[in-house]
Amino acid sequence: MNRDRPSEALIRNLTLPQRPHVLLALAILVFAGTSLSYAQSVNPLEGDVRAIRGGAGLFRAQCATCHGADAKGISSIEAPDLTQIWSRRSLSAAAVFEIIRLGIPGSIMPPHSLTDTENWMLVAYLQSVAEAGVIGLPAGDPATGRQAFVENCSTCHRAHGLGESLGPNLSNVTSQRSLESLIASVRDPDALVGRGYKLVHLRASEGEEITGLIKSEDAFSMQLQDDTGRLRSVNKADLQTIERLPGSLMPAFALNQLGDQRLFDIFNFLQNGAQQ
Amino acid sequence: MRKLLEKKWLDKVWPALLASAAVVSPLSAQDGPSYEDILAGFSNPERWLTYSGDYSGKRHSPLQQITPENVSGLRPVWTFQTGTTTRGRGFETTPLADDGVLYVTGSNNNAWAIDAHTGRTFWRYRRNLPNDLTYGASAPVNRGFGMLGDRLFMVTLDAHLLAFDRRNGDILWDVELADYRVGYAATLAPLVLDGKVIVGISGGEYRTRGFIDAYDPVSGEQLWRFNTIPGPGEPGSETWPDDPEVLAAGGGGTWMNGSFDPELNLIYWGVGNPNPDYYGDARPGDNLYSNSLVALDADTGELRWHYQFTPHDLNDWDSNHMPVLAEVNWQGQPRQVVMVGNRNGFFYVLDRVTGELLLGTPFTATSWARELDADGRPIVLNDGSQGCVPDPWGSTNFMPPTFVPGQDLFILTARETCATYVPEKPADAPGQSNFGGTVLIDAEQGSGALRALDIHTGDLVWEFSYPSPTFGGVLSTASGLVFAGDHEGNFMAFDSKDGRNLWHYQTGSRIWGAAAMTFMLDQRQLVLIPSGTTLTAFALPD
Repeated sequence: MNRDRPSEALIRNLTLPQRPHVLLALAILVFAGTSLSYAQSVNPLEGDVRAIRGGAGLFRAQCATCHGADAKGISSIEAPDLTQIWSRRSLSAAAVFEIIRLGIPGSIMPPHSLTDTENWMLVAYLQSVAEAGVIGLPAGDPATGRQAFVENCSTCHRAHGLGESLGPNLSNVTSQRSLESLIASVRDPDALVGRGYKLVHLRASEGEEITGLIKSEDAFSMQLQDDTGRLRSVNKADLQTIERLPGSLMPAFALNQLGDQRLFDIFNFLQNGAQQ
Repeated sequence: MRKLLEKKWLDKVWPALLASAAVVSPLSAQDGPSYEDILAGFSNPERWLTYSGDYSGKRHSPLQQITPENVSGLRPVWTFQTGTTTRGRGFETTPLADDGVLYVTGSNNNAWAIDAHTGRTFWRYRRNLPNDLTYGASAPVNRGFGMLGDRLFMVTLDAHLLAFDRRNGDILWDVELADYRVGYAATLAPLVLDGKVIVGISGGEYRTRGFIDAYDPVSGEQLWRFNTIPGPGEPGSETWPDDPEVLAAGGGGTWMNGSFDPELNLIYWGVGNPNPDYYGDARPGDNLYSNSLVALDADTGELRWHYQFTPHDLNDWDSNHMPVLAEVNWQGQPRQVVMVGNRNGFFYVLDRVTGELLLGTPFTATSWARELDADGRPIVLNDGSQGCVPDPWGSTNFMPPTFVPGQDLFILTARETCATYVPEKPADAPGQSNFGGTVLIDAEQGSGALRALDIHTGDLVWEFSYPSPTFGGVLSTASGLVFAGDHEGNFMAFDSKDGRNLWHYQTGSRIWGAAAMTFMLDQRQLVLIPSGTTLTAFALPD
């Protein structure tokens, strides 16, 4: 029944003794059958280029319609961003394997009758597209970074118990986003504004003006965090104007305001702050 | 039991119990609604006996207690909690109402009989489903019961049709429609006619072949089958490659129920996408009767006429919508029409006797096509490979629209989305879904609207905008109200004249695939809407 799948050839190739642990895993698979899927906690195919390529093909055929071709999810159908599952939810390879195999009962995520090898290939692909966070963070001084964080960021952001909550909590951001994207967010925050941080300027019928972040919105109301940090409900019928602003509430930090080294100090504080 | 039998009072009750047992079979009409009752549609205001309330699919109730003037006082009476979720989809059912009892199906093949006065349950049913469901695992939904006499009919995620005893939820018979392991499932509300239960099938993303079936309500015996994808040599097969294997896996699901014209004795039913969804190179040709409306003889299942909305579909734009039947004055002549708001972004009016196309015009900003040619075929400008055509969920979908007679308004939920299609040759395997490519959806560009169209021109008469693409259905009432639900969870009432919002209630979960129903209970008009894990009944204060 699975004989027509093109990935079969790939799977046969994978059984060649090029990577001893792959062979071992497949040997266990033969003897232990599906029980391996419970016993195995580490993906035997992690990092294997051909497994990742095969997994990518399986992903396009089986998963991409809901999770997107880039695995970044489609929020309107509640299909999560799969590049974030490793960092945000600390899932193990075995747990992801099980979710693919069994699905999530009561949700649109179905079970999949893949072979264990195909399933591990899919996991290998997901591991390959994981948002790995900051890799190779340049050296910096966390103590100096802590001070720079307090001076430059803490009015809006919280990290490791310091600061306020108008912007995203940055305690784990270095494990969720790459160095390049973090630098881009500091130098040009208007380029990409996340959900829940889109800016709006409202003029109420009584003349009051509110600038805030749209946390939620429906046809009748908006749930805002205003620029003082206060959570507010606004009835659209009470408004004169709704002006959606393209940028971010966060100011851009140019090099002369916040040099690269100071920025790396801050990133080092964010990465290591929990240990301090 | 022995102790119970010794009780004296049982001697009196026992003969009555035996007598009622005797009328259980064969089907007893005096013990529940007959075919004539369903045929009479809304004439008994205390009943709602079929998915749309009547066979026409208008979802237009004659009730007038709740009006544009008093609807602002509408408030919840009770909420029923199903305890079963369908993340990513919705609670898509329409309850049936008879004699103060609601018959409700839910996700994961749960079902209930509920006291319409209180929201408390009489009985609950849950099907023991296999753990290797195929299509049914990805869409574990159900859209409702069919009802006749003392029986209820429900389809299942493992592609069976069940008959229930409506008094206790017992299963009277259970027939297999198709092998779920190949990819089949069933989710629709059966359409019950005189001596027939009509059902369709889901699973067009798998190597399946769609059909519409008729079953005997008493015995469960199959009466006829119409295959939506022709066999080799049959009419329509010339629109496919000359390959029996392609035809046998051609898709064409029939997963939304249809409407019925008792005078013409025709049923009208939508057919879904060809398989694989996005990869058309595997199936050159128009691929009949995919993405079509078919008119079938209700006694034999023979095809009377068809109209294909989306020839050679590459975008998963199933044509599984509720066909809406109406008698209208068309350019000075009385005409029996069938109307469809289609997933491809066009609104259509056809003569339902002949299948002649009377109108086909876009109701969204779709760039796929903007007009039809003289033969009624779309002039395709962008098949989706060049970006920004409606996403695979479509410009609208199966969420029921409504028709307002007199005003001649067709009111539907419109979705404006932007998607690019990247076809890819799929790996064909039974039991594995088979989209044949991927879709890149620009989530930043998406909105929804409730739109009222003039059926004579397709022109927009009014609209109410939603912040995101919405999946809620629509109900109208003769008092001039329109009820709709949105993706943010609002259940709302509008003035059918101008679309002015008159009332809204936040249900706490998006309203997805469901439309409201309404009926009278103790001289009080109830309006019901499913949302998330809840079914809530609304009424005016006592």
